[in-house]
Amino acid sequence: MNQIIAIIQREFRHEIRSRKSWLAILLYIASIVYICYLGFHHDLDAETWNTLFWILVVFIAMFASSGSFSGREAEMLYIYTLVSPQKFIIARLIYNGLFMLFVSLMAFGGYIFFVGCPLSNLPIFLLTMLFTIWGIASLLTLSFSIAAKGAGGFALMSIISFPLLIPLLISAQHLAALCLNIGYTGGYAGNMVALISLDVIVAALSYLLFPYLWRD
Amino acid sequence: MRAVWWKAICVILLVYTAVAGFLMPVPALPILHETIRNLYFHVCMWFAMMFILTVSLVYSIKNLRNPNPDYDIIASQCVTTGMAFGILGLITGSLWARYTWGAWWINDPKLNGAVITLLSYFAYIVLRNSMDDEQKKSRVSAVYNIFAYVMLVVFVMIYPRLSEVDSLHPGNGGNPGFNVYDLDSHMRMVFYPAVIGWVLLSAWIATLSIRLERIKQLKNQ
Repeated sequence: MNQIIAIIQREFRHEIRSRKSWLAILLYIASIVYICYLGFHHDLDAETWNTLFWILVVFIAMFASSGSFSGREAEMLYIYTLVSPQKFIIARLIYNGLFMLFVSLMAFGGYIFFVGCPLSNLPIFLLTMLFTIWGIASLLTLSFSIAAKGAGGFALMSIISFPLLIPLLISAQHLAALCLNIGYTGGYAGNMVALISLDVIVAALSYLLFPYLWRD
Repeated sequence: MRAVWWKAICVILLVYTAVAGFLMPVPALPILHETIRNLYFHVCMWFAMMFILTVSLVYSIKNLRNPNPDYDIIASQCVTTGMAFGILGLITGSLWARYTWGAWWINDPKLNGAVITLLSYFAYIVLRNSMDDEQKKSRVSAVYNIFAYVMLVVFVMIYPRLSEVDSLHPGNGGNPGFNVYDLDSHMRMVFYPAVIGWVLLSAWIATLSIRLERIKQLKNQ
């Protein structure tokens, strides 16, 4: 347990110290949200708002997670000798979930500031965001560990993670559509359970499969 | 797997499917009419694909537990075969949809599931091609195969039931499925042999491409 907390603390410190990646993510969010704002001359209808928001979230999450691994091979070699893969992946899942949540909340803030907020049920929407982001973060954590083994870099990462992200995004969009009052059938509970079960499965698979990706 | 008997059964069943599938009586239903015969082809494609992808999954798990280059060949060739059946499933489904729904494609949970399946297994092929080291390739692609398969099963089988999203696809959302049509049991007499025939065909194609791949690997050594 202590090891897990120690890894999370290390990751946070690393993230805060490398000011370059911080600024890059902030700039990415700001410019991508502003471009969305510029493109629309009048108020967005709820459906477009919904679609656009989740596309933004996916791209920001991809960008944010790509920075956290690159150029740290030497450091990883050191970590290999200290902790077990299970502890490492738990720490990474928690850290990436928190980090991604923070980043996407900033994006959400910027998005409602510029584009507007037609939501009629904010608490449920925030809950949806929490679970979706957690799922996206864990999925990207595993697919990045997979992609890091191949020689395709960021392109390979997007190719292998986009298809698997679709289930999460579909359930997120359904829940958000319910929060936006666009005519979708179904209730909150069933969709939320589906979303959470997807999250749990992604996390469980990451935990089980990561040891096989651990060192060569 | 080189025995002849099951291949003979496969050929007989598929010839029977083609003949009986087009000639045997089917229930006269509004909108569907004769397109209901697509059941013997379209649905069987997905059965065959799921069968061969499950074989691939089993060999991927075996490969992770007990690394062996041959398991990797089997897993990867099964995926390629499964993709071929998946593409045929999409084409037959799309043609059918054009005549019954009036559109080639609609936004529907079942169709989304099919697309995600194909996309993620194409990603599997891309992933394999991005690595040169054989050992690493077999391990990493096995991990991805297991990950993708479980996600797909959850998404295709469990998710639509939980999310209460209606589907236009037969068998969902008030649309009658196969179990309603087969009341007169004529269709059942063709459908079950057809499923077995197509599944056997997928196994046959997979064994051929596995053998081809083994020979290629031997030549390279």
